[in-house]
Amino acid sequence: MPPSSILVTRQLAEAEHLSVGDVVSLSSDPAGKDPRSFRIAGIYEPTPDPMRLVAKRHEVRLHLPDMVAFTGEPEAVTAINVALKDADDAAAFARDLQARAPSVVAVPTEAPEDGAGPFAVLERFHRAIAIVTVLGSTAFLLSLMVMRAEERRETVGILRLIGISRRHILGEVLIEGLLIAMAGAAFGVVFALATQGAVNRFFQWRYDTTLVFVRVTAGIAWRCILLAVPLGVLAGLFASWTLLRRDVVALLRR
Amino acid sequence: MSPAGLAWRYVRRQPARAALGVTGIAVVGALLFDMLLLSRGLVVSFRDILDTAGFDVRVTSTEAQPTLGPPLPQATRVAAAVAALPEVREVVPLRFGKAEVPVTDGSPLGINLYGSGTREGRGWPVIEGTGLTPRADGVLPVVINRRMARRLGIGPGSKVRLTGACASVSSAAPAIELEVLGIVSFPFDRAADLTAMTTLPAYVRICGGEDPEEADVLLVASKTGVSADATVAAIGGAVPGVYAFSNEQLLDRFQKTDFSYFRQISFVLSSITVFFAFLLVTTLLTVSVNQRFGELAVLRALGVRRRRIVASLLFESALLVGTGGLLALPLGGAMALWLDGILRQMPDIPQRLHFFVLDPRAVVMHVALIVLTAMLAAVYPAYLAARLPIAATLRREVVS
Repeated sequence: MPPSSILVTRQLAEAEHLSVGDVVSLSSDPAGKDPRSFRIAGIYEPTPDPMRLVAKRHEVRLHLPDMVAFTGEPEAVTAINVALKDADDAAAFARDLQARAPSVVAVPTEAPEDGAGPFAVLERFHRAIAIVTVLGSTAFLLSLMVMRAEERRETVGILRLIGISRRHILGEVLIEGLLIAMAGAAFGVVFALATQGAVNRFFQWRYDTTLVFVRVTAGIAWRCILLAVPLGVLAGLFASWTLLRRDVVALLRR
Repeated sequence: MSPAGLAWRYVRRQPARAALGVTGIAVVGALLFDMLLLSRGLVVSFRDILDTAGFDVRVTSTEAQPTLGPPLPQATRVAAAVAALPEVREVVPLRFGKAEVPVTDGSPLGINLYGSGTREGRGWPVIEGTGLTPRADGVLPVVINRRMARRLGIGPGSKVRLTGACASVSSAAPAIELEVLGIVSFPFDRAADLTAMTTLPAYVRICGGEDPEEADVLLVASKTGVSADATVAAIGGAVPGVYAFSNEQLLDRFQKTDFSYFRQISFVLSSITVFFAFLLVTTLLTVSVNQRFGELAVLRALGVRRRRIVASLLFESALLVGTGGLLALPLGGAMALWLDGILRQMPDIPQRLHFFVLDPRAVVMHVALIVLTAMLAAVYPAYLAARLPIAATLRREVVS
């Protein structure tokens, strides 16, 4: 009788140098007792699973009758996947099934996001890091702007001396700050877009997965711009105001 | 005036600028400090949990982590063989399963059920009552964690009925009555875990149908003065077909797998923050030097040596980065508590596991990186100041 066919994951095939058509022995005993032969019918990429990021995906897929015979647990399956005609009915279906068969646990595959999952926690962690980074950047930006304003002290003094109002100078600083902040924010987004591929490739190589780790979406880009531009403008205005509130004589050091 | 005095005067002359610079460095330094704590926090914390359990070697049937692999067959024989080794002080077989407790106001409550061999002394850290000791009067003993005691309103002396749910399907075995001997702290309990531990014979009775000769793991304690590696080697030589690994080997494995994400993210963020701090200080000092070219040229014309000017810039850098770096320690400590609180909300994390742990190595590394950053950040502005053409600069200052 020819050996039954199985599928093996790409990771297992690479690790054990397996290829399609090879015959392999599998045993359900840790010591390798009573092995059974199977022929590799194909190699597949396992569905990326963030919950099993660090696990080596050394897996095989057997036909269910082969699996039952292999494990010696007739009529036992771990789970039954159900595809509904309308996916929106999942929660109602699960409730209904559980009411009719209390010993069965029915769970919709798309669980409601309750903020307790590992990725929701990681998102909160990354957001906290982002807040700290923004605070550090703001202090950096403010000190730079203060120095930049100080460099222009005499120029501003002359402008004030020839009658240009504080409001006018502040307006000029506002436009300049806006342009610089927009350019900086755009550069940051372009840099993130340009490097996301490298970051993904590194972590995909590191964890041997096809999971996507970084994705710069339009929403994230807009959020960055909406945060960075006002911060840049405000820092420029604050620094300029520290200069403009002085009188003309002090500005010119006369 | 000494270079340090000169640097102090420059910093004092622009207090707002210096304060903003120090604030920026303190925030960036705090992030750096936190990332250094994160890089080893899980390892330090996990080692602490492993060590407090009181065992330095674990024996399983496969290379898989305890609880993830198949049970160890003929565990009684293996445990006896391991216990007979001269390197070994104590061997405790352990089994992991599930059980249900009937509650009056709803469906049965699922709990973790451990079956443990007899331990020396008081055994697991006791909070209230006594540890797990077999009873001669036929009463089945159990110790529980504090959460289970509160949830069920029970304590030492109470009776509790458990129905085994150790296999993938619920056991048909009847509920077994046990007497609570004490409330115990289990090292790997998660925040929401309800956990009970009983003796191995009681575990087998509760679970019904389980092989009494199996164990999920053997916990092994080496004798005083014997290293865990020596015990691992002795077990490997004397008991074929089992896998023994020390706490350090287990930690090493976790570092390469489960903890690697946080180690990598801490490495990436540490690198970025060091670069950011370097950029910040270099920019501040460079702009500062550019603004006082005239003063530096006058000092040089008065006979102050290049070396002193460069030294004053180094001191200025050290003052800014040193102050910011020192402030970063308490700030980073407070931030670490905040970030640790966020990460510990992850499901399936042992309650005693921390991501950020104060480690002297992290403090030393933080100080070393801060010092290096201060020195490197001063290089370019010092180069500008040292190469300053005195006559041309003075002429430009007079004309402008």
